[in-house]
Amino acid sequence: MALSREDVKRLAELSRLALTEEEMERMEQTLDPVLEYVGRLAKLDTSGVPEAEEWSDALPPLRADEAHRASPETRKAILSNFPDKAGDALRVPGVFEKPKG
Amino acid sequence: MTDFLKLNLKQLSDGLAAGQFSSTEITKAFLQQIRGRDISVHAFLDVFEGTALDDAHASDERRAAGKSLGALDGIPLAIKDNILIQDQRATAGSKILANYRAAYDATVISSLKKQGSVFLGKTNMDEFAMGSSTERSAYGPTKNPYDLARVPGGSSGGSAAAVAAEMAPAALGSDTGGSIRQPASFCGIVGFKPSYGAVSRSGLMAMASSLDQIGPMTKTVEDAAMLFDAIRGTDVLDQTTQEIPFSFEAKQSMAGIRIGVPKQAWGEGMTPGVRAQSEAALAVAERMGAKLVDIDLPYAAEALAVYYVLMPCEVSANLSRFDGMRYGVRDAGLPLIETYMQSREHGLGEEVRRRIMLGTYALSKGYYDAYYRQARRVQTLIRRAYRDAFKNVDLIATPTAPSIAFRLGEKLSDPLAMYLEDVYTVGVNVAGLPAISIPCGLDDGLPVGFQLIGAMGGDGAVLSNAHVLEQALA
Repeated sequence: MALSREDVKRLAELSRLALTEEEMERMEQTLDPVLEYVGRLAKLDTSGVPEAEEWSDALPPLRADEAHRASPETRKAILSNFPDKAGDALRVPGVFEKPKG
Repeated sequence: MTDFLKLNLKQLSDGLAAGQFSSTEITKAFLQQIRGRDISVHAFLDVFEGTALDDAHASDERRAAGKSLGALDGIPLAIKDNILIQDQRATAGSKILANYRAAYDATVISSLKKQGSVFLGKTNMDEFAMGSSTERSAYGPTKNPYDLARVPGGSSGGSAAAVAAEMAPAALGSDTGGSIRQPASFCGIVGFKPSYGAVSRSGLMAMASSLDQIGPMTKTVEDAAMLFDAIRGTDVLDQTTQEIPFSFEAKQSMAGIRIGVPKQAWGEGMTPGVRAQSEAALAVAERMGAKLVDIDLPYAAEALAVYYVLMPCEVSANLSRFDGMRYGVRDAGLPLIETYMQSREHGLGEEVRRRIMLGTYALSKGYYDAYYRQARRVQTLIRRAYRDAFKNVDLIATPTAPSIAFRLGEKLSDPLAMYLEDVYTVGVNVAGLPAISIPCGLDDGLPVGFQLIGAMGGDGAVLSNAHVLEQALA
């Protein structure tokens, strides 16, 4: 199972990674042996074997989906982690915009 | 004057309770040791000089007022950098989180705070816990205190080195495929990976959520039991947690205990030095009353392949949140998709990118059945094999790692060679079991680790029997 350069390029796009040409080459070289190694699983007969289940037989019921008010400290900490903001709002690049300047 | 650095958790706890010394005195001693020793070891990413002493002082005042919070009150600890402590930096060894400050405490941290623990600092790690040598940290590698030219193991290499170099009496690590046990083995300390669900992961940066567990890294098994008991329990913030009955018994013998010796683990693959020390440890277990039973653990050899499918799949999903939008480093001035791609390209290291791409591949259309689904089926076979084995034995014994600590740089250019470091440890995560690594002697002057694996929920049995073996090996 050898990955082509096109495969690596497509994978990088799907993974949202902007790899350089040199990095693509290194990925190509290092992904192949790993894929070959894990390929051994294909040789096992698993007919009739179910996929592994959740760990616990009796998971607790889901919590109600309720909004909780964060403490002022938590709120401040979250806001201070924003890479870019307008007032207390998170500023992100627009989906259809070309950025100015 | 007592050399506080030599004392283990239990001795420090007893000394504090007896008023032999104060938390301020011991915390100062460890901070002093970090100042001197960490220049060469680089176990810490951040050291909390100020808050540690404030917290130690507060602990001493509580104790003086007769309001001690228990055995861990005033005990200084080191914390792996993928575990959140409110208002402190949490980078998980990644550049993309270089300026990130945690907005809340991980559940294990709030538990320890309620018990009065003092935090010395955050420890170095392979980026987002992906690695077996701590060389994949964006902030430079940690060195093995036994030999600074060698790796401490990983990914919890900073925590292991901090304890081994007496910069902290104990630490927390996280283990997804061996990241507590293998560095414990390389650094000659005790590392315990609890049963899946025993400890809350709320506030642990997720790597592979179906495999991740937080656990203690300590000087003794008794200390590991003490720290595990302090952090375990159910948590509404982690739905996978469950109450596991736990008791640690500082017993003297392993009489009546059957230890399974799987032929799959004891065949080829380990160095002669690791074999000699590990077989000697088996003989000591037998002398302490345990009965050794040769067992067959079918599919054990497939655990590493299962792990290197399931883990990257979960990584590719879990790390999609690191896109430079809500926190972390953002490459600015670009259209949206380029912002994602450039921020991730510049913020994430090569090994992390490799695993994201592996997972993306295994989950993509046309490959999902062949990789992900097939790995989940083989996972079932592995779990069944362990379940069947534990019908006849109480514990299973293997070496922790196939070799002693290797040299810095030795395996960096060959990812598959690095992955093979996990060959004895990943099966435990794939099956959700508890397991411990304890030191079992030296090979060429470097520590060798011995692994004891328990049945699901058998955390108490693992720790109690490891204690017997540890005492006999000492």
